[in-house]
Amino acid sequence: MITIRDVLIFAGLAILAAAVIASLFPAGEGVTAVPACSDCAFKLTGGYWIQQCGNYAALYLGTREAARYGWAYRADGRPLRIGESVACDTAMYLWVFGGVAYVSCDGSPPRVGRDVLGQKLPFVDVRFSSDLKCTTYTIEFVADLTESYAATVEVYNEEGRLVASATGTIPGSVSFSIPTAGVYRVHIYAPPLLDEWHTLTAQVRISDLIKAQVFTSNNTQDLRPSTTLKIFDLTSYWKRGYRSVTVRVSPFWGDLHVARPADAFADFLLAWEEASSGWYDPPLYWKEVWRLTFTQTNIVLTRVYSWGWRWHEVYVDYRYSINQPGVKTLIWTWNKQGPRHNSYTVHWISTTVWIESLDSAANARASFLKECLWS
Amino acid sequence: MWSLAYGLIALAVVAFVVLYAAAHAPNFTTANLADQLYGAKKWLASSLSSLPKVDSKPRFRTSVNVVRVAEADAAAYDYGTGQWTTFPVHLPVGYRLERVGENVVYQIYLNVTRCRNATLQGGAAVTLYEVELRHSLDPLPWLEVYAAVPHNLTQYYSWLYGYYRAWGRPPAAGLDPAVGADAGLVELVKVEWALVYNAAGGTAKLYAAAPPTAPYILVADYPLTIPLACPR
Repeated sequence: MITIRDVLIFAGLAILAAAVIASLFPAGEGVTAVPACSDCAFKLTGGYWIQQCGNYAALYLGTREAARYGWAYRADGRPLRIGESVACDTAMYLWVFGGVAYVSCDGSPPRVGRDVLGQKLPFVDVRFSSDLKCTTYTIEFVADLTESYAATVEVYNEEGRLVASATGTIPGSVSFSIPTAGVYRVHIYAPPLLDEWHTLTAQVRISDLIKAQVFTSNNTQDLRPSTTLKIFDLTSYWKRGYRSVTVRVSPFWGDLHVARPADAFADFLLAWEEASSGWYDPPLYWKEVWRLTFTQTNIVLTRVYSWGWRWHEVYVDYRYSINQPGVKTLIWTWNKQGPRHNSYTVHWISTTVWIESLDSAANARASFLKECLWS
Repeated sequence: MWSLAYGLIALAVVAFVVLYAAAHAPNFTTANLADQLYGAKKWLASSLSSLPKVDSKPRFRTSVNVVRVAEADAAAYDYGTGQWTTFPVHLPVGYRLERVGENVVYQIYLNVTRCRNATLQGGAAVTLYEVELRHSLDPLPWLEVYAAVPHNLTQYYSWLYGYYRAWGRPPAAGLDPAVGADAGLVELVKVEWALVYNAAGGTAKLYAAAPPTAPYILVADYPLTIPLACPR
């Protein structure tokens, strides 16, 4: 029969047993044993300390030597000097790699390996693009960055003068525009990420020449029969600030006075001779004189002078849109029935000019293409 | 009643013994440096061909995980048009690679500083590569240098030209589309090499004598193989 007395004795004994067991238990974490392992990481509590001896490192618990290692290093990779020791307040973290111990007091893992690279900036991809007509240039900075950096782009011309500057961010993009054709040095400055120079060439490329030659200064030679069309590049004179220039194209007489155009990306004077060889009606290379001016968006052809007894035809390549082929369009006739445009505008980045005549050996051709290159 | 009390006390004693033993048993996790190193190198090997390529030296000096390339013209036979063409190729000439594992910092710096034609003692003509080498781990695991000798140089460049046509950008010799993608076109030949340590600085010089027809050499820190070419 269970009585209240039995319950009390049982409870008393249970409490007594619990107290005895609890008193046997160490409070908190006790001293941990050192595992004998390599290529392992473990935590030691209870007053361990490690000392570097002459040819080994000894791990001590109080005064008792618990383990030996080849050498002891701190977590940052610095080896302990002989006689130097490390003790931790609460817990010691040890990594053992191939018999060598790395000690850390805060649990941060050691990194084996020196830094040999030095500066480690994030990579920024610099992508250059321009619109089709080479009017606006965009430099795009692509980078995987959490914060953004200010970037400055400065554009210098051939003489080293600043012609454009723009600011933006990395990651982000910077846009600028330049007024005339030329070779520009572009400085991209965004400390500490970028400080570099690039070359931007904005030009009109003249190609596909038939009986034609390009000059950058006066030419008074009779270059027939190989050349009936002389193309004079005037762009550099306008860039240097001249308001007008006189171009000599003929051997004896014949000066062409040309005024500076209002807004020219590039400017050319075309002088053509109708007689492919032999006798000519002076002045030479004056039979069709045309001006070809690239503005920021268009190409404008203007007639300057026509002369001669043979018939002439002037054609240009006119293009309506990007995905259509060009059309050879007759814009001027001389001594002949046909269209007579003293000025003609091509709304495109390229064109071809044909000058044809009775003497088909004098027929000349030249193609002009506006392009911008980045390097 | 009493047997229950004894039972409970016995259970408490067993629980104490188990808990005490568990708390005092050696307890560790494995940290394998070799595995981590292998993992870091394998990661770099897999991402090597997709790393950004720069041709400017200042950018190369300050960035990490970049490939320095030199642009050169190569001649190829265009099988489509039946004509010879020239096209630009990128020649990988420098690397700054880093991969940090849990306990290992793997860094390797390779930069071709000089490249010249030389004649070996036996009379064989070779291209001598001088490569700057810096490595984050002092005991450099064994290094091997191979030269990629194409069976047919024209065929090799025509194969690269196909990638140039497809991508519209210059392919990198030995690196694009992947390291070892040209295995059917080239033969890897083990070349003689020497590593010269510099006591004053951390940069060692690696000299490798490759056959002159080899467009690039492969520096192998297994499993990472790094192609290096001569800037021309």
